[in-house]
Amino acid sequence: MKSPLFRLGVLSLALATTASLSACLSSETGGGGDGEGDPITIGISLPLTGDFSEPGKGVQRGYEAWAEWTNENGGLLGRDVELKILDDQSNADRVASDYERLINQDQVDLVFGPFSTRLVVPAAQVAQDYGFLFVEPAGAAPEVFDQGFDNLFYAAPAVADDHYDHLADYIEKMPAAQRPKTAAVAVMDDPFAMGTAYGLKARLEEMGVKILVDEVYPPNTTDFSGIAAKIADSGADIMVGGTQYQDAVNMILALQQLNYQPKMAAFSTAPTNPEFPQAIGSKTEGILSPTGYTPEADHETNAEFVDFYTEYAGTPPGEDEANAWTTGQVVAAAVEAVGCADPEPECQGELIDWLHENEVQTVVGPLTWDEAGRPESAHMIQQYVDGKIRIVLPEELAEAEIIPVKPAW
Amino acid sequence: MSLLVQSLILGILLGGLYALLAAGLTLYFGVMRVVMIAHSAFLILAAYLAWAFTRATGLDPLLSLVGTVPLFFLTGVLMQRLLISRLRPATLTMMSVLLTFAIALVIEGMLGFVWTGTQRRIQLPYGGANLEFAGVNIAVVKLIAFGLAAVSLLALYLLLTRTKMGQALRATIQHPEAARLVGINTDRVAGYGFGLGLATAAIGGTALALDSTIYPSLHWHWIGPLMAIIVVGGLGSIPGAAMAAMVLGLGQALLQIPLGTTWAQTCFYLALFVTLMVRPQGFFGGRLAQRF
Repeated sequence: MKSPLFRLGVLSLALATTASLSACLSSETGGGGDGEGDPITIGISLPLTGDFSEPGKGVQRGYEAWAEWTNENGGLLGRDVELKILDDQSNADRVASDYERLINQDQVDLVFGPFSTRLVVPAAQVAQDYGFLFVEPAGAAPEVFDQGFDNLFYAAPAVADDHYDHLADYIEKMPAAQRPKTAAVAVMDDPFAMGTAYGLKARLEEMGVKILVDEVYPPNTTDFSGIAAKIADSGADIMVGGTQYQDAVNMILALQQLNYQPKMAAFSTAPTNPEFPQAIGSKTEGILSPTGYTPEADHETNAEFVDFYTEYAGTPPGEDEANAWTTGQVVAAAVEAVGCADPEPECQGELIDWLHENEVQTVVGPLTWDEAGRPESAHMIQQYVDGKIRIVLPEELAEAEIIPVKPAW
Repeated sequence: MSLLVQSLILGILLGGLYALLAAGLTLYFGVMRVVMIAHSAFLILAAYLAWAFTRATGLDPLLSLVGTVPLFFLTGVLMQRLLISRLRPATLTMMSVLLTFAIALVIEGMLGFVWTGTQRRIQLPYGGANLEFAGVNIAVVKLIAFGLAAVSLLALYLLLTRTKMGQALRATIQHPEAARLVGINTDRVAGYGFGLGLATAAIGGTALALDSTIYPSLHWHWIGPLMAIIVVGGLGSIPGAAMAAMVLGLGQALLQIPLGTTWAQTCFYLALFVTLMVRPQGFFGGRLAQRF
């Protein structure tokens, strides 16, 4: 006679076997990720800690907001999207192995790019090796596009060198007598910052403007009085700063302390930071800066993005969030047009080809790319007018009239 | 010509600030053979406290010194009594590097946790103000920082040479065992020495906050040059550190004109290498036993 206890044992064993068997079966169908109702997985590595953690988190917020919006609005090809985000600790070796892992081990369907030139290049190389489409939100420096990648697309209006194009055009159109004749250039030893300032410097040189100061400083510079002394001594008409943030603020204060009053002053990145007017105070008037994005811009889908993001995060989006969202929009446009989202080389190849041939409407404006993935638009130019940063160039997007001669700071 | 004079003035002002920032660092080493990696982290902490004080009250950041100087002195005494004094004398110098490195990381992490990594700057009504004479501009904030440095270094000097506690401290620096024999409580004196060092960090950090943008990891940019200054000046010698700070500050400002920023910064490390090769005990101090 068998005891009830023994029967219970057999029963539970049988149940357990069935359960594990069905688990195997379901994971088999789910693992490939190409079944109809399954989510589309998107692999991303971001610098969530380390040097780039601040902008890295901004990009993360943008990606997550985009995924949520997409899922609320019917998903991609009728499937939900699911993000898999790893932390590369701002480390270039780590970012490459992260993308290896995402593509090989996690078998994601698509990848989005990380933040900043230094991490984009190794990540794009991995994506290229596996034939993956690689759209990235933040790698604007020339070396990103000099590597011969054919799978890379930068999801922003312009590469670093072209950021000041509208300002250069404006200066070119000025009557010769009003045009600046001399310039001082100070740039951080950083591919992005150098790209922006040298783009404008090259255009100024073409116009016959004399470059009186051409200074490069390492990223860890904290004392700018020496550089400021050189610039003040030159008395240049236009000051061009290839800056990030703290360097621009410290340099501007050091220039004020030496009573240097240029007719025009342009700095990259820093002036668009909300912390900037808090640091400089009332002396921001007339300072120029290129920007790829503002929540006010009148581009198709932008208002919808700003409303959704503001409700999602509680604050309006910044440039990092917008570029991340743009990356999502670009990939989504290709996926919807081609009709596939899987890691197979044929599908990825079709996505890449489609983006090379088509224009995509995004929150930073309509985007097209050249064969190396350089976007072919230009950045807007913003200026502090009446204490607020406003778009002044190009004219068709301007919110305020440009101040041609900067008031004293 | 005016650029040269201007750079000369800027170099002197910069040198004064360097002297103040490095004074505490050389004191710790003099008193206790402690290499205090966290000194610059405390500078940034004081800068943040000054910034937070101004943001909360709208008052001048210099007034925050009333609170931060005693607070830092007390922190220094406690840190020495509770942490540093527990390290074994035989490995003190080595282990103090590890211990204070950890403290620096804790401070940096706490700053980021409390005030985020956003870069901050105190907005002063006189931030860009300057005095002009003979074609040279002198920034008011730099002058204030220089004044703070001069006053606190002088006060430190008088404290060490004219007071009983200063004599006890110097005795402890010169010969701890002999000091104990004549009845000096060297443990307590070492605590005060550490407290004094941190009190200079409170003043230095506030001076720094007047004219720079601060962020939690900024202290890593400072610790290297400050270490170079105290080695060139002779470890443990405050006048030596002040002299070295002035020479290196001037050197940096003047080399900037022909060489540019990148190479001007290397003058610190070049001076460090030369010192270690030619005169390892430092250029301005005597032998360690006779310091001060």
